[in-house]
Amino acid sequence: MRRVSGLLAVLALALLVQRATSGAEAGGSVALAIGFALIASVLVGSLTERLALPRVTGYLLLGLICGPFGLNLITAPMARELGLFNGLAVALIAFIAGLEINVARLRPQLRRISALGLATLGVMYATLLPLIWLAWPWLPIAPEVTAFERIAFALVVTVIVISFSPTVTIAVIAENRARGPLTELTLAVVILTDLVLILAFTLAMQLAAWASGDGARGQDVGLGIHVMWEILGSFAFGAALGALFALYLRAIAREVTLVLLGLCVVLTGAGHYLAFEPLLAALAAGLVVENIAPPSGDALKRAVERGALPVLVIFFAAAGASLQLDALADLGVIALAIALLRGITMWLGSAAGRAWIGDRSLEARWLWMGLVPQAGVSIGLAVIVAAQYPGWGTRLQTLIVSLIAIHQVIGPVLFRAALARAGEIGRMDIELTSESGRSGRSGEVEEVEVKST
Amino acid sequence: MDYRETGGVDQLDVNLREAAAPPRLRAIDFLLRTRVALGLQPVTAPAVLFVPLGFVLGPQVLGLLPRTVITHLDPAVTVALAAIGIFIGMGLETGDRENRRLLGAASVQAFLTILTVASATLWLMSQWGLRLDLAAGIVAAVMGIAASVSSASAPDRLGETHRLITRIAEFDDVVSVVAGAIAVAAVGAAGIEHGLLRLGEVVAAGLLAGLAGWLLFERAHSIAERGVFVIGALALIGGAAEYVNGSPLLAGMVAGICWKRLPGRADLIIRNDVSRFQHPLVVLLLVVAGALVEVTPLAIWLLAPFVVFRLAGKVIGAWAASWVVPSLRAGDLAAYLLAPGLLGIGLALNFVQVSSTEVAAAVASAVALGTLASEVLALLAAPGRDRER
Repeated sequence: MRRVSGLLAVLALALLVQRATSGAEAGGSVALAIGFALIASVLVGSLTERLALPRVTGYLLLGLICGPFGLNLITAPMARELGLFNGLAVALIAFIAGLEINVARLRPQLRRISALGLATLGVMYATLLPLIWLAWPWLPIAPEVTAFERIAFALVVTVIVISFSPTVTIAVIAENRARGPLTELTLAVVILTDLVLILAFTLAMQLAAWASGDGARGQDVGLGIHVMWEILGSFAFGAALGALFALYLRAIAREVTLVLLGLCVVLTGAGHYLAFEPLLAALAAGLVVENIAPPSGDALKRAVERGALPVLVIFFAAAGASLQLDALADLGVIALAIALLRGITMWLGSAAGRAWIGDRSLEARWLWMGLVPQAGVSIGLAVIVAAQYPGWGTRLQTLIVSLIAIHQVIGPVLFRAALARAGEIGRMDIELTSESGRSGRSGEVEEVEVKST
Repeated sequence: MDYRETGGVDQLDVNLREAAAPPRLRAIDFLLRTRVALGLQPVTAPAVLFVPLGFVLGPQVLGLLPRTVITHLDPAVTVALAAIGIFIGMGLETGDRENRRLLGAASVQAFLTILTVASATLWLMSQWGLRLDLAAGIVAAVMGIAASVSSASAPDRLGETHRLITRIAEFDDVVSVVAGAIAVAAVGAAGIEHGLLRLGEVVAAGLLAGLAGWLLFERAHSIAERGVFVIGALALIGGAAEYVNGSPLLAGMVAGICWKRLPGRADLIIRNDVSRFQHPLVVLLLVVAGALVEVTPLAIWLLAPFVVFRLAGKVIGAWAASWVVPSLRAGDLAAYLLAPGLLGIGLALNFVQVSSTEVAAAVASAVALGTLASEVLALLAAPGRDRER
């Protein structure tokens, strides 16, 4: 009751300031949007949890309801400003992904992960590419292009349609405190396949540039070097920062939450200036910390728990507020058809992978449910296409946004359902408690006790 | 230096008292103490360190903090102002007779300082014939209000005199925050009624955010969730005030008073959780203030009267306050209250947030530079230990 009253007080405050100020006078406030999104999303998230839905869905719904297409408590400029958190959120999420991948633990399963991932990708690509090529004249992208150009563009579109979301996968895992075989398998497959897809996208873009006559030979070489710099440089940079962070954890290990968020800001900022991919750099940093210099004690885990929640809440509330419902209304049927095909081919691909290696495990059967979410990587790739091809690229971006809107709603629900079936929800806390009990130290300042009801 | 403005001693330092750095790193142990890094020990105020740093990093010198980055940091500045307001509100204890007397003395000295600096600056501006794109009365009032704050800096003083003066310095923030909120509400207001309405909205926002925090902090399901509520409440307080072009300091103060007065442990929770990021916020505030400093002719014109009239205002205010608290010598009171702390800079930044004019930028620059000069004056004028005893 008190939590509901708190939510009402927050809503009353948001309505008060909005009613009090006319549109011309209001300066808008990012801080207000952050405060409102944080408190209201957490409260709505706990309500959706009671309905056996993921909290992430609650954050998205809150953003959608209070965003520009709903109550307009989070106005369009405020939603855009909240988008500034995307970089930080993506870096933090990728870092957590790296922390979750223990190479030594996964090594015995490497063949299985590769087989399931590559079979899923292969079936999806082999099915969706011809379908997209055949349906091209009816797709609202570039119906006028023909011949080889059409094949090249279809290759680009297919990669983006297939792409997965490590962001949402990690967010659902972190938010549900999940741990277990399905968690590990899904995470490893999503990251591995997205790496392959990023490479495939780079090649497809070169082909598209060549087919449309934009890519002179010299530029192709430049693009190749740029891609190498982006991939290898990002990994090297992230690994170096990860090593420094691991050193800090071992030698000092204080105020870890702040230092962790600072690390993510550096990864994002340096990525922007040095043309690195923050996702890859942060992933490499997490991998180094987990696999080369794992910290003793649970200071890092607690810092991740503390730092991740506010960042993820803002990220998803902003994503909800930014969902373009008008685009969904225009392209809804086409997007829905593509989403359906994507889901079916995903299920078929994962089944093919299981049959290939004879895997009858439950986690392999439910793997496809964890691959459905789509978010940051897809939109990032679409933005690159729109920047290079302002005409059809922009139309593609609108279609991808509609597709993401559908997958943002369905994806987390499906993945959480799979985690619940596998009995992996909340297992991270159980292991954390037992580890703390064994080590006998908390590594953090004593807290004012939390009184739960 | 008392730690009121920054919410108390840093948790990190509390830990370090018990456990120093690992043996291999003992040589750099002092660097880990954030109070040292902030310049809070031994006598240097953080402003002396971080305002010049911000100026060097800012667009005027190295350009490492360009205007676009400063604009993006604005929400953090708003949250920092709200946090300072909250601590001022939670520090407002008027339960016993002594506190009420000290509040009276603090109000008298702050009011007289505002009056001295504002009227003298207004007179000077009319003599100079400056052409301003803002009402001269508002400019003079903001200068006076920013000059009225004090922090009674002196970490090694433990005597009764310093204790009383520290309380007076704490209480004079209340007058400055309220006066600052009135001045900010007056900027761009269509009339007195509109200005009062804006002020009322800020107070209502503080009350509602305070109520929301009180309802939620103790009902969090985990420490991480409680952290989200605390950060959310801070952002909500600052953001709501910013949205109506009001003062986050006043909204924060109102919320702080709510949490202190309402039953439960909301005040303890906010103090505990905000202590985790209070110092980075203070550093950010000061660095941004430094980066915004523009050495323009108008800023230079305003700087000298700010320092000189503030000195005069503090002496007059201290003399009047010593009548209210007879156990205090007017000289000691004036000497201690010379140290301005960071609230004046916060008030000036709030002024820039609501009025993006050249005059507002010049006022903020003059206040930031004047704060540094006043800190140096305070260092020279601080009473000796023997005299205090």
